[in-house]
Parts: sequence; structure tokens; C-alpha cells
Amino acid sequence: MHASPDMSPADAPLLGRVAAGDAAAVRECIARYGGLVYSLARRSEAGGDVEDAVQEIFLDLWKSAPRFDANIASETAFVAMIARRRLIDRRRTRGRRPSTDPVAEVPAIPDEANLPDTCAEASQAARALARLRPEQRQVLLLSICGGLSHGEIGAQTGMPLGTVKAHARRGLLSIRAALLGVQQEDLP
Amino acid sequence: MKRELTETQMFRAQDLLLARATVGLSDAEAAELAALGADEDLSFDLAAAAIDLATLDPRDLEAGLPPGLADKVLGAAGVPPASMSMSSIPTTLAGVMPPRPLPVRPAAGPPEVAPVTSLDEARAKQQGKKRSRAAVIGWLAAAACLALAAGAWLWASGQKPADQVATVPVEPPPAEARAKLLASAKDAATLAWTATPDPAAKGATGDVVWSASEQRGYMRFVGLAPNDRTQLQYQLWIFDKDRDEKFPVDGGVFDVSSTGEVIVPISAKLRVTDATLFAVTVEKPGGVVVSKRERIVVTAAPRAS
Repeated sequence: MHASPDMSPADAPLLGRVAAGDAAAVRECIARYGGLVYSLARRSEAGGDVEDAVQEIFLDLWKSAPRFDANIASETAFVAMIARRRLIDRRRTRGRRPSTDPVAEVPAIPDEANLPDTCAEASQAARALARLRPEQRQVLLLSICGGLSHGEIGAQTGMPLGTVKAHARRGLLSIRAALLGVQQEDLP
Repeated sequence: MKRELTETQMFRAQDLLLARATVGLSDAEAAELAALGADEDLSFDLAAAAIDLATLDPRDLEAGLPPGLADKVLGAAGVPPASMSMSSIPTTLAGVMPPRPLPVRPAAGPPEVAPVTSLDEARAKQQGKKRSRAAVIGWLAAAACLALAAGAWLWASGQKPADQVATVPVEPPPAEARAKLLASAKDAATLAWTATPDPAAKGATGDVVWSASEQRGYMRFVGLAPNDRTQLQYQLWIFDKDRDEKFPVDGGVFDVSSTGEVIVPISAKLRVTDATLFAVTVEKPGGVVVSKRERIVVTAAPRAS
């Protein structure tokens, strides 16, 4: 999915060293990805225990470090994926939606001039999101970033449940295709 | 996808992968995805992660963790803060290091060599091997030296029993789970505790059961002094042959509520490949990352082969 761009030493993957038990790499990892993990936890745990979530995510990350494969994803995307999995588990355990806000906000998509340089996947996803139909994008963002269930998205947007599901499916397949660099129709 | 799927199966697998990436799966759904051979497909999860990444404020990403939280995360991993000199560690008990690679699918590239990134680490690596046995011996010696301080102060007198046996919730009850582990895990070893002269350990007996294959275990105590969890807690440390012994694995903080038989599940924070020593210390409430080894109450080690 991911072809590693040229990396400066500051961007060199850390997880291999973490997996090898390098304490310095653990510290660097926390310094490099702390903001990312904290941001994701705060987004998902609104009103919850963000600090607890952050600690759980990093523990998962240490355990998952040996599984990181730079040929599949950037390290940043891998960290975000691990974080998302833990946050989703926490939401499921709580059995409630992450936010107490009555209406979840749809985050803004950066325009072409302000694409995120966090990692290649982020800018590719931003471009692909911009190409989606507005209602598809809205459903996808409420689902991915807002943590809403399809039913909750339907209630918030007034869309029928079947429509929400279809938009979520088509939307995520489009982003996935963009990341894989192929036409969606060519994918299994 | 691992195997050829029908169109219907493909559609179902995509549904499950989409659900996993957004709202998560139930155990039954996860099993269904595995049965379809699609559970190792990360492309949907990575696509969802990329969407999150695309919509986060870059300033937040650069901000790092709030003050104090980074130290908590380091503490949970058992890694001393960067400001702590590694040369000070031999006189203290460090926590745990990150895990060794688990048996997972091989990475595409060659294995990475862990570089030495600081003088302290270089020193620690050079000294690590030499200290491999010395650290364990040091622990036992430290426990023995506590005999000199025995009676200097009484610990458990007048303290109220804690209201729970262990801080780690388990199901089924620990005694039943311990028995099941002994019955089911072929490698489950039972090691008798050796009490130190610490007042809390006076007359204490029991054992520790540990299975490396299941990464589970239980401590059994009889006669270990009950603790007031608001003042002190017990903490288990596990030394692993495959790790630098300066960094024993944190086995969890626990309480003892009575002098009768108490069984406490072990909560190893990281994988333990080959346990060489179990040691219980008395620490402040919540436990510590670096123990001063002032109070070691019991130890247990496999017999040398």
C-alpha cells in the first residue's frame, strides 16, 4: 500500500528498534507519535479518560511493533491504525458513542494547497476525500472521525440507514483504492 | 485475501473489514472474518487511519503529549526517563523494556539492527551481558542483606486489612484459574517462595505458578502480611533470561487482605520468555517504575539445571 519516500534520519522508522528492546527508541516513539496518539484519543474519548486511552495505545504499540512492515504502510499510518483499533475497542467496551455532543462535527478537509505532510497516506486520503460526493464524504467522516454508528449517522443527517451504509462502503473503498494507487473497480 | 472467495463471500468479507475499520467487530464477526481468510487484510484499517490523519490539526500532532503523560507512558513501558543515567540503574530496579518480537509473519526486509543512540546505552549494552547473572545474584544478595535491617521497624502492626485480595480482576476465581492453568499448561512450573527477613514476610510461604506458553501465572501466599493499600502495595517483578536483568518485567501491583491463603493473578506487562526469578517488593500505592529494593519480601527462582 505504501512506498516509503526518502526519509531523513528524523523520519526513520522506530518500531523495529522498539521491537528489539531499544529504550531510546521507545522514548523517541513517544516524542514522535505522542501528539498523534493524544489527538486521536481526544477525538474518540471526548468526556472519557484520554490519558488512560493513550497509555493503552502505547502498550498496544509496543506489542505490535514487530508486525510493522514499511512495505505496507508508513510508520505514522501504522501507529494511527493501532491507535484506532484500541479506541474502537474502548468504545465498544463502553457501549456508547464517544462524544456526549448531541451533534458530531464533520472535520474539515484540507485543500490542495494545505495538504497534510504527516505522511503520504494522509495527503492521499485528503485528495481522495475531496473527490468524494459531499454526502459520501459526510458519512465517511462522521463514521471514521466522529465514531458514529450508521444508525447515529442516519439520525443526524436524516439519511435512510441503507443510504448511510452504501455511502460508508463506497466512500471507504474509494479511499482505500486511492491509497493502493489503483482503480476501485480493479480491486478485489 | 488468502483464498478464493465467491462473490458473496467477498462482499461479506468487505463488509466485515469495513466494520472492523469503523465500529469494530464482535468476537463472532472476527471469527467469521478469520474463517474467510481475510483477517490479515489491513487495507481498510489503514484507509480509515489515513482519513483520521488527513483531518487532524498538524499543530496538535506537533504538540506531543501533555506534561507528565509521557512519563506515565514511559513508566507503563518500564523505561526510565531520558534524564535518568543508565549508570544509576544497577543500584535500582528498573521496570520493563519493550517486548521482543513476537512470532508473527515475517517482515519483507532484513531485520533491523538496533543502533546505540547514546553513550549511556553503549555503556549499558557493554555491561549488560556481564551483569546478566550478577543482577539476579544482586537481587538475592539484597534480599539477604535485608536480614541486617530486620526488626528495625515493624511494618504491618496496627494496619487495617485491605478490602480486596488483588487489584487485578480475574474470572474465574484465582484459585480455580490457578488449578486450571496447572492442569492445562504443560510448562506450568510451581516455584516455592523464599521469605526474606522483612517483617511483612515473617512466616510467609506459598509459591508462584507460571506458564511461559500461556503468559499467565498466579502467586499464592500464606502468611504474607496484609497491607493498607493507601500506604503500601506489593509489586511483582519477573526476571527474564532473554532480557537484560536490569530491566525485570513488571508483574503487577497487588494487595493482600489476610494472612490466610491468598492467590493473586500475575499481570505481566510484557512477554516473559524464560523467567529466571520472581521477586515481590513493597512499594508506594500504585507501584513504581524503578524500585529502590528497600523491601524485598519474597523471591522464587527455578532450580539451576
